[in-house]
Amino acid sequence: MLKRLALTTALTLTMAFSAQAQEPRRGGTIRFTAPYAASFVSNDSHVSNQVQDEIYGYALHRTLYKWDSTNNKPVLELAKSVTASADGTVHTFKLRDDALFHNGRKMTADDIIWSFTRLMDPTKNYPGAAYVRRVKGAQEFQKGEAKEISGLKKIDDFTLEITLIEKADPGFLFRTALTSIFPAKEAQEPDFFNKPIGLGPYKFVEHVPGSRMVLERWEKFYQTGKPYADKVVISPMGEAAARDIAFRNKEIDVSILGPTQYVAYQADPNLKKGILEVAEVFTRNMGMNPNFKPFSDKRVRQAINHAIDSDLIIKRLVRDKAYRATGWLPLSSPAYDKDMKPYDFNPEKAKKLLTEAGYPDGFEFEWTATPNESWGVPIVEAVIPMLAKVGVKVKVKPVEGSALGGIVAKGDYQAYIWSNTSGPDPLTQMKCFYSQTPQSACNYTTYKNPAVDKLIDEAAATDDVAKRIDLLKKANGIVYEDAPVWFFNYNKAVMAYQPWLKGLQPNATELALQYFEDLWVDASSPAAK
Amino acid sequence: MLSYVFRRLLQAIPILLAVAALIFLLFSVIPGSFASSQMADGRTVMDAEAVTRMNQQFGLDQPVATRFVKYIGQLVTLDLGTSFRTRQPVWHLIAERLWPTLQLAFASMLFAIAIGVPLGFLAALRPGSWIDMVSMVAAVSGLSLPKFWLGLMLMYLFALTLGWLPSFGYGDGAMKNLILPSIALGVAPLALLARTTRASVLEIMNADFVRTARSKGMSERRVVQWHLARNALVIVLTTVGLQFGSVIGQAVVVEKLFAWPGLGSLLVDSVSLRDIPVVQGCILVIVLFFLLVNMLVDVLAAIIDPRIRYT
Amino acid sequence: MKFRANLVIGGVLFAAVVVAGTFAPFLAHTDPVMDANLMNAEIPPGSEFWFGTDAQGRDIYSRVLHGARISLTVGIVSQLINTVIGVALGLSAGYWGGWWDDLVSGLTNMMLAIPSLIFALAIMAILSPGLTSLLIALGLTNWSYTCRLSRASTLSLKNQGYVQAAKVLGYSDIRIMATQILPNILGPIIVIGTLGMGGAVLAEAALSFLGLGIRPPFPSWGSMLSDARDQITTAPWISVFPGLAIFVTVLGLNLLGDGLRDILDPQSRARRA
Repeated sequence: MLKRLALTTALTLTMAFSAQAQEPRRGGTIRFTAPYAASFVSNDSHVSNQVQDEIYGYALHRTLYKWDSTNNKPVLELAKSVTASADGTVHTFKLRDDALFHNGRKMTADDIIWSFTRLMDPTKNYPGAAYVRRVKGAQEFQKGEAKEISGLKKIDDFTLEITLIEKADPGFLFRTALTSIFPAKEAQEPDFFNKPIGLGPYKFVEHVPGSRMVLERWEKFYQTGKPYADKVVISPMGEAAARDIAFRNKEIDVSILGPTQYVAYQADPNLKKGILEVAEVFTRNMGMNPNFKPFSDKRVRQAINHAIDSDLIIKRLVRDKAYRATGWLPLSSPAYDKDMKPYDFNPEKAKKLLTEAGYPDGFEFEWTATPNESWGVPIVEAVIPMLAKVGVKVKVKPVEGSALGGIVAKGDYQAYIWSNTSGPDPLTQMKCFYSQTPQSACNYTTYKNPAVDKLIDEAAATDDVAKRIDLLKKANGIVYEDAPVWFFNYNKAVMAYQPWLKGLQPNATELALQYFEDLWVDASSPAAK
Repeated sequence: MLSYVFRRLLQAIPILLAVAALIFLLFSVIPGSFASSQMADGRTVMDAEAVTRMNQQFGLDQPVATRFVKYIGQLVTLDLGTSFRTRQPVWHLIAERLWPTLQLAFASMLFAIAIGVPLGFLAALRPGSWIDMVSMVAAVSGLSLPKFWLGLMLMYLFALTLGWLPSFGYGDGAMKNLILPSIALGVAPLALLARTTRASVLEIMNADFVRTARSKGMSERRVVQWHLARNALVIVLTTVGLQFGSVIGQAVVVEKLFAWPGLGSLLVDSVSLRDIPVVQGCILVIVLFFLLVNMLVDVLAAIIDPRIRYT
Repeated sequence: MKFRANLVIGGVLFAAVVVAGTFAPFLAHTDPVMDANLMNAEIPPGSEFWFGTDAQGRDIYSRVLHGARISLTVGIVSQLINTVIGVALGLSAGYWGGWWDDLVSGLTNMMLAIPSLIFALAIMAILSPGLTSLLIALGLTNWSYTCRLSRASTLSLKNQGYVQAAKVLGYSDIRIMATQILPNILGPIIVIGTLGMGGAVLAEAALSFLGLGIRPPFPSWGSMLSDARDQITTAPWISVFPGLAIFVTVLGLNLLGDGLRDILDPQSRARRA
């Protein structure tokens, strides 16, 4: 496991090194793919919560913070500096004075305030509201009780004060394309979204829905010398098999790989050279409903963890495109505890635990699963015979991806299999196991443990980063012991790239999200001109 | 004839309304909702409050009867509503996708006609011969392949192995992008057309009026030209019209596979995201096209064969 | 009677599938669901695993055999439903006429206008994926041709002497329809049903591709094929065998349907002259 992690890091380093070794080349077209659906939802980056749309958002728009993939943390982007008040709620930003929208107008604090206020529009329910609602007065504004958001204050054109309702790191709130900064005045024009403008390194040229989005270099981008490529073409391609062919056919520069293709690409001496791997912040798990009698007993839940040969599944079925889960927080989390050991595969022990819990002959449960190849029915199919060996029968209840979330949030299941985000901020993620967190707001297994509550409270209160990490590690350890879920694996995201594409970033929050200003193509690309 | 066209258009209205009602009722009981589909990525948390707000925004909190009345009211004014996920008018979304789908549908029908009809003729002229056998088995084989499987095979062969054509996408709407998906989509109607052509040609060859013509001493060639061509054409046309609906239906599969930006892929995406207004709009537009194409076919048939009367 | 190649070939192919499905538990080497063994994943075809194994290490030969049961069930049951609906509506509409006829004709026109795959897709989304849902979805969406045909044939038959005679004898309407008309229109309906069975098997595959078919662990050919589409370069046998099975079955049914048409469908009798 650690070896693998070391390998990933080494790979990252080599990448960074090779990027330095060569002088970036200007010109050419980056032919990117958006691999999660057959289309983009909208030209309005505030509208869709899907990664698919965020991909183009990284080219067209900018946010207050950006994600530093190398150091795994948020860093300032549209501001030069920030100071926080003693209680950690008031943050004062000195904004960039050289950020120009694609029409040449300079960004000011007004644009940020307008964009954040738009996200809270009570009639629109923009997904970014989930972040902005942590700003003081935002919820009152959304309910119509206030005319503006009191926590957003313009000091001068380039100074902005943001007050949060509780102590928090704004870097984790304002970094995704969902909170992109739009030009306040221009964005209110009726035709704005036919040809949207933003602050990003590339400006919008055209969007053929379901086919591609074309963007071209923004000459006055505030990072000097960037972006390198003349154009970016992003094709939405949800079908993995078609993407595979297009990549092999050199029609696209990158592809996100599933387990099968991962093996195939590794086996190919040419394709092998262009593989980027990252431990993403997703934990695949089987949630068990404590209201279902057998699962109310901790021993039964532990028995499930012991009865499934997770390593074998990861090796043979997921084809090592995952890391074995040793708790909720993933490898790339700052609070990952590398001393924790995964549940060992031990059917005898599982059988013993089941007998102690009063189920010597096992029981039957219904397992809700989507068709997803990495955390859906195919995995369940491999688990069925394993659980049968300890007497536990499984009835599969297939559902569509769009129905799973609703079913789980309502507690309408006996067990489910899902892939949930478990980073990047460990505190936010551990709060999903806080007893006060409702089931609909990510405490999906209605987990309750006073000891964990206490640790999370302390972690939230402390200013000492090392201490907070330590407390969260402890909480993570208790959750692991209580086994509210079957801890399956952490996703290893794998991207295949063509040899001419340089400057890819190992983004652990989502590998498909790349800052296009750092990418460039060398002369060997078919689209180098 | 104009009055006939007008009457046919009038007849289409109750069908469209019935379809609209049916689709509305079906989708009012669908499990999952747009709000819950937003959580599918495992990143987005939709707490109960956000779900309630979202359902209010889309009017999903009202009783089905109220929504139904509102929906039909909108339809009468030709308003298809607003998409849940893009927040744009459904008309706008459909307009963007209509042309690519029509391109694909017409290209594949053209492919089917260009090969299927001559094949059927050929087979019928020598019934029982090996040409007949081979062409009919080939046609039936085309009908027996799952579309996405055929599409994948075409991609591997023509795009990856031979490198002749791009494997996916719309490109600039260029011909080369259109070829593979149209073949994948056109194989089934090709097979049906070949069979129908063969059957109708055989039937007409043995029909009394052709025999009479022959016995009157008309040359074989003139027999074929006059009676055969005209009568067979009508049957072929009717088949094309009826196949059009099936082609648009199957386009759902082919568009998804080839990343083709048509109505079919819009429909599938919208179903899986529970963007109900778009689903309803897409189906209605597809049905409308089916009805229009069939009307066109009937009118054409009557022009070709004056014995067919407008009924 | 002349040798009919399509009837014979089609009949043999279809019979083979029926035999495979019927005796699947005896012919299969392993249980298609429970015998997943990841140690055996993706073994190419050989003496132990005739058709190789899939990603979960299951014997594809056994799964294809069991898949025949599912495909046959899908084909037969959905077509039975379609035929019953189509015949009941078409026959009664043709026989009784009047407002009932108008209603049925309207309904048929509506059904014809909605592409059946799209209709089935909608129903599958609503009932959520599974075998029963699939039977319902495919059973409710393909009856319009049968209905039209039954109605047209009934119209041409109902003024025939023997039908009139039955009326005079005081037979009930239902009895006349069932005993006097139905037997005489059955031929073409069987043909449509046979061809429709092939269509249903293909529709199952298409819906699986769209994520709305029968979900595993059922070894349905459509879902096997659709799940293995990413492995087409690395482990082609996983998709080749279910693909072949679909092809053989549908080809058999289509040939059989064509052959039956030559015999049963009066309209194509001209061909024999």
